[in-house]
Amino acid sequence: MADLATDLGRIKLKNPVMTASGTFGYGAEYHKFYDIAELGAVVVKGIAPFPSHGNPTPRVAETACGMLNAIGLQGPGIDRFLHDEHYLPFLRTTGATVIVNIWGRTIGDYAEVARRLEADKEGIAALEINISCPNVKAGGIAFGTDKNLAAEVVSAVREATTLPLITKLSPNVSRIGEFAAAVEAAGSDMISLINTLTGMAIDIEKMRFKLANRTGGLSGPAVKPVAVRMVYEAAQAVKVPVIGMGGIATGADAVEFLLAGARAVAVGTATFGDPYAPLKVIRGINDYLDRHGIGAVSEIIGKVK
Amino acid sequence: MESGMIISNVGLVGDYFKVTFYAPEICATARPGHFVHMKIARADDLILRRPFSICNISPSSGELEVIYKVVGAGTRVLSTLREGEVCDLLGPLGKPFGRPAPDEFPVAIAGGYGSAALYMLTREAKCGGAALLGARTREDILLADAYRTAGFEVAVATDDGSEGHMGLVTDLVDDVLLRHHDKKLRFYACGPTPMLMAVCRLMLDRGYPDAEVSLDHLMCCGVGACFACVVKIKADNPDGYYYARTCSEGPVFKVKDVYLEK
Repeated sequence: MADLATDLGRIKLKNPVMTASGTFGYGAEYHKFYDIAELGAVVVKGIAPFPSHGNPTPRVAETACGMLNAIGLQGPGIDRFLHDEHYLPFLRTTGATVIVNIWGRTIGDYAEVARRLEADKEGIAALEINISCPNVKAGGIAFGTDKNLAAEVVSAVREATTLPLITKLSPNVSRIGEFAAAVEAAGSDMISLINTLTGMAIDIEKMRFKLANRTGGLSGPAVKPVAVRMVYEAAQAVKVPVIGMGGIATGADAVEFLLAGARAVAVGTATFGDPYAPLKVIRGINDYLDRHGIGAVSEIIGKVK
Repeated sequence: MESGMIISNVGLVGDYFKVTFYAPEICATARPGHFVHMKIARADDLILRRPFSICNISPSSGELEVIYKVVGAGTRVLSTLREGEVCDLLGPLGKPFGRPAPDEFPVAIAGGYGSAALYMLTREAKCGGAALLGARTREDILLADAYRTAGFEVAVATDDGSEGHMGLVTDLVDDVLLRHHDKKLRFYACGPTPMLMAVCRLMLDRGYPDAEVSLDHLMCCGVGACFACVVKIKADNPDGYYYARTCSEGPVFKVKDVYLEK
């Protein structure tokens, strides 16, 4: 058994495997299958200062080795997240390392939700700032594809909380390294990437878009090579820890990201096909290290240059 | 999660097939309205599971039956699988139909292969019941004989009049109300969404707000995590609705709770 602990600066994880926001609900949905405290961290679905309906349906479409989604950040809002027994109060009982993904329609929204979480932060390990959701019209990707706005959001959240901050970057930009450097300079303690790639699918028989939102975010194995490249570039561009995600379904996939420079990874879409995918990725990383006679996962991070 | 080994996988009529799995754990607790979320073997390019209503179970032999129509890439692969192949099954999932009380007379209103999702009600009915089966044409009427064998009376409606009443399955409801006016009727429905919305309006109008419909939508995780499979359910907010997950809050909802578009 290799040492799987990973150091993300202000937070340490027992293993490098987290869940990707939006693919793991609020933890309770998968705690029925296994103890979610076994994961490196649980990243919950995005929380805003307000409840949100999300987009009209259909919201998902399967594509070759992947899927498009345009859920549109349906969510309970901060009040219910803090107080309803299904959300944060439940997560506190599990002992899991909890990371809360946050979003808003304005910079003020981001600051407000961060302030509310700061005031009730027991059991929260870090916040992940979502400046990259492609499926909401206001906010979301508008912040993630403009370096100055991205930095402004991070600065505002930085002022609102002392919790460690992860900024989740959009891949829908041409020079990812510049965005990574901008949010690092604005005070982000870590960087995570990639969010989904904007895409579209058309039903040729019905001659209409497959998603009610017309466009959606592409995820799954199809995006993995793009994600590995962007994680590599981001890791070259910043000193803060990078968390890699995008199409990870196996331990081998995760090792690719670690070798490219990620200090942790997240499993997302793969969980929809197999609820146990995050646990299998942990085991797969361990098996890889054992097979190569490597004692600790930290030894392979950024090894391929 | 259970590995379902295929015992048989046979064509019924047209594009309809019946696959039988050995899945004793799921059979032990499955009830009418439950579904299984299936990872179709050999469909490696398809990363998502597919939900299927459970049509019938045999808890003693561990056999679980699903009736499906070949409609896309996943069901096309499924239709080629043979005895001995294994599909991973998550289930039983979802909130099932309410159990008919001993003095209740269940009425199943089915559109197309919705008749498969309602068939297990025949196991829970104590004093018979009725099945109203609607479809485009007679080929799409499934399980009529099985319902009769299970002690249900059957009425059929087809769009083209090739069997039974020419028209909608909802046209058959008033006749049931008339003929069984002395019984305590309990209504259940499954079928295409436009038909189910018509069932909701009709049931509310006829005074059966507790009638149950099994709604579904394109599903993804199957366990309530992703919010893909949502439908509008009434809520006490300015919009009057919220998006409920059919996989975990449904697929069965009472008609009085379904938000009907104006």
